Amino acid sequence: MSGKTLKSDLKKVLEDASKLIKDAKDLSELELFRVKFLGKKSLLNSFMKSLSDLDGEQKAKAGKSLNITKTKINDLISEKKKVLSNSDVKKDDGFDPSMPGKESSIGSLHPITKTMNYAIQIFESLKFECVEGPEIEDDFHNFTALNIPDTHPARAMHDTFYLADNNLLRTHTSSVQVRIMDKENPPIRIIAPGKVYRKDSDITHTPMFHQIEGLYIDKDISFSNLKSIINIFLKSFFEEDELKIRFRPSYFPFTEPSAEVDIEYIDSKGNKNWLEILGCGMVHPNVLDMANIDSSIYSGYAFGLGVERLAMLKLGITDLRLFYENDLRFLKQFQRT
Amino acid sequence: MKLTRNWLEDYLDIPVNTEDLCHQLTMAGLEVDNISLVNNDELIDIDLTPNRSDCLSVNGVARELRSIDKKYKRKVLNKNIEVDSSCENIKINFHIAEKEVCPRYGFMYLENVSSSLNTPEQIKKRLKSIGIKSIHPVVDILNYLMIDIGQPMHAYDADKIKGDISVRFAKNKESFKALDGNEYKLTDKNIVVSDDNEIISLAGIIGSEHCSVTSKSKNIIIESAFFKPKAIANKARELKLQTESSQRFERGVDFNLPEEALLKLRNILCENKICDFSDINIINQTENLPQKNNVKLDFNKIRALIGIDISDHDIINILSSIGCQIDKETSSVKSSSYRYDLSIHADYIEEIARLYGYDNIPIISEKISAHPIKKYLPFDVTNEIKKYFYNNSFSECINYSFVNNSSLENFDWKNNEFDKHHKITNYMSLEQNKLRSNIDSSLIKNIHYNNNVNSQNSYKFFEVSNVFSDKIEKVLTCVVSGDRYAEGWSLKNRKFDKYDMTSVVEDIARLFGLKKSEINYIIKDTINDKMHFIVLTLSIDDLINTIKKSPEEKFINYSKFPYIRRDLSFLIDVSITYATILKLIKKINVLSLKKILLFDLYIGKNVPNGKKSLAMGFIFQDKEKTLTHEQADLYIETILKELQSEFNIELRK
Repeated sequence: MSGKTLKSDLKKVLEDASKLIKDAKDLSELELFRVKFLGKKSLLNSFMKSLSDLDGEQKAKAGKSLNITKTKINDLISEKKKVLSNSDVKKDDGFDPSMPGKESSIGSLHPITKTMNYAIQIFESLKFECVEGPEIEDDFHNFTALNIPDTHPARAMHDTFYLADNNLLRTHTSSVQVRIMDKENPPIRIIAPGKVYRKDSDITHTPMFHQIEGLYIDKDISFSNLKSIINIFLKSFFEEDELKIRFRPSYFPFTEPSAEVDIEYIDSKGNKNWLEILGCGMVHPNVLDMANIDSSIYSGYAFGLGVERLAMLKLGITDLRLFYENDLRFLKQFQRT
Repeated sequence: MKLTRNWLEDYLDIPVNTEDLCHQLTMAGLEVDNISLVNNDELIDIDLTPNRSDCLSVNGVARELRSIDKKYKRKVLNKNIEVDSSCENIKINFHIAEKEVCPRYGFMYLENVSSSLNTPEQIKKRLKSIGIKSIHPVVDILNYLMIDIGQPMHAYDADKIKGDISVRFAKNKESFKALDGNEYKLTDKNIVVSDDNEIISLAGIIGSEHCSVTSKSKNIIIESAFFKPKAIANKARELKLQTESSQRFERGVDFNLPEEALLKLRNILCENKICDFSDINIINQTENLPQKNNVKLDFNKIRALIGIDISDHDIINILSSIGCQIDKETSSVKSSSYRYDLSIHADYIEEIARLYGYDNIPIISEKISAHPIKKYLPFDVTNEIKKYFYNNSFSECINYSFVNNSSLENFDWKNNEFDKHHKITNYMSLEQNKLRSNIDSSLIKNIHYNNNVNSQNSYKFFEVSNVFSDKIEKVLTCVVSGDRYAEGWSLKNRKFDKYDMTSVVEDIARLFGLKKSEINYIIKDTINDKMHFIVLTLSIDDLINTIKKSPEEKFINYSKFPYIRRDLSFLIDVSITYATILKLIKKINVLSLKKILLFDLYIGKNVPNGKKSLAMGFIFQDKEKTLTHEQADLYIETILKELQSEFNIELRK
């Protein structure tokens, strides 16, 4: 073995080793290369063994060259080892991104809840305070205090459920107006969401439904202000700045002037229609007087929203009765937050 | 109120198409429901609000249109011609005993009514258009006049009447057979017209069968009276007997109409040669007629409340257009005899706003003073809970508050026996005859329903609602059934158990910074129709009260020294609750004990009967120094000794 041959052999070994080590895929492959280049059966080892055939100076020179090569390969391996053990290169685990996940934790909120919350959020941003009132009411709070006396023809408009103790299931959330005015002094600026009951059941009526009542009482409140708040609410709710809204004179015993509010909507055939969406008006002075609020100083407006109607329009629900069947095919459609 | 365009044109020039006319009516508060073509005429169906009885006639609607827009010009009507009576007056005496409720009573006698005569063609056609059947010429004419001018009248077969006629209150339990064939039991609140023998009509509502006009009637008495609204209001409804006549009287009929109606009737009878007729008789008690009061106008208040800039002059013009009398000197206003809805100042404000046009009222935002917002806790708490369930794959249900007599209903939400339900006296169906005392039954029903229509392996439902037992309380109920996980490809599934509900309670407690023990709840299970349900109910009302009393969220500093964990695995009597164990450990008061973990509970094979195997981890940590293993050993030794002496536990190796 000549010095020159050894040198070129070692160069070749180092070149081969660095190339393979560099491309090693993982630690086990790297180990194979370690055995190949440094192991007992390696070329280097055979050179090592043949060193004994050499004499003094040649032996020392060749031994040094061999050791340098060995160290270089070792360094290459340990460097690669570091790289491989630090990186997260893994074998292909067959992950299929199109597979369904393991478990969903998203449920569904009832469309009534979603609609109610959405409306309440809008009113809270307009500084209305949310309150609630009882579902079982007495005649006074549901009728009399709202300027609906016994003989009033408007009582024919409400078909009321009565309980054995002569109390009744409230027919509107307007009864909460009375309860709040009993307790608090103006300014009063509230909304009252909740269940209401009327003895009616057909395609367009369910015996229980939901309303949101609004009331604002302060000095110098006008019908203009009422128009403004309803405009802001409806445009926010339907997320439509150009929404066409009209106020139509109507009649409620507890407001005067009273109005029904229509919005323009385009039906499936492309026809424009007006759709009644809520009732409102200026609080009737008799209602204020009965609540001991001086109607010569204070005025106010009130409005009542039908939640089912709003939900149907917003979500495109066509059958009112679906709300209370609690069929998962219906409920599970409302998974968005 | 139904009428046709052609009929309206008796009174008005209508220079626009019917659609535009109806739009104007709608925008003035007389909402037109529908326009349809009938007999070459346009039928207009107005959904009148109950305050506008003045528009329950064609004349009334015409009058209203004139005040809405001046382009609707009044037509010169044929004056009622004075026709001479063609027969003697009736020989019956009239006693108006109740002048207070019947201050005006008009009548007329018809003779020689021929059964072969027909109703005049135009009257018949118009009645048909609005859906009123032709019955008898005289009755048809009365119906026609009621729609035309708004005065309900009644026709009695004169030959059936015995003795005098009087207007009086009924006697209690006096019975009355109406011409609809039904028998009614009356009270002393019902005003009636009667002869010497019996009631001949329920005043202003319906006539008796006995005295009703038939094709055989030869002689007829016509009644054209004014009954006060309060005397009629509710009476028809109480008897479930509402008629066109009662609807008008209870809402208010113009008290000047009885005579005019009889005059018109006479003209029609004469023109069409239907029968002979007597003079018109009117019994008047003027002082009992409704009094219209003067209201002083506050022009500034009118402008301020509506939010418009309108001159005093324009206000007066609007009020004059609806027939009000205005005294300009005192600025006071008085409504006409046909308007029952105008008596206080606000009533006039409404009229001004209405005729000014709601569309013309500007949109002006109110100035709201900024003030700290008071959060409404019940709403926020309920919503947080709903969000929690939403984020844990529960579906929210909303059910009716009514239930029937199912056995599931016989307890309150706390699972106590309950039978004093809030019963609905006028329920619609037996299925809905009382208010529910728990939500369980509703949700279980929902799961059964869904299991039939869209079978699934796992159901997770919840509802928040008031329940009605001894107390009316807002509660949350969630019901689960079947597998813990919805069907999937990887998860090891298992059935729901009650501890799944315990986790829910703990989570809810955590949401509000509370402990499970501070929450008023109940977990139970039940088998219903072969399905197993696990039910958790908790009181939202109580939760809110607890939250109100609980301290705010505040940071607590924690130890930075390392911790040491020691585990104990032991057998203990099944009857000893986990809470009892915790209580004892707490009593030992090892200050460095930071946390207890329960990592295994096992009952079954290899565990003796009556015992359970528990495995608990104890984490020790000192506030001020690094804990030594010797100290930790000492602590766990103390705990173990106490557990052994108190509960006789047996350590597992």
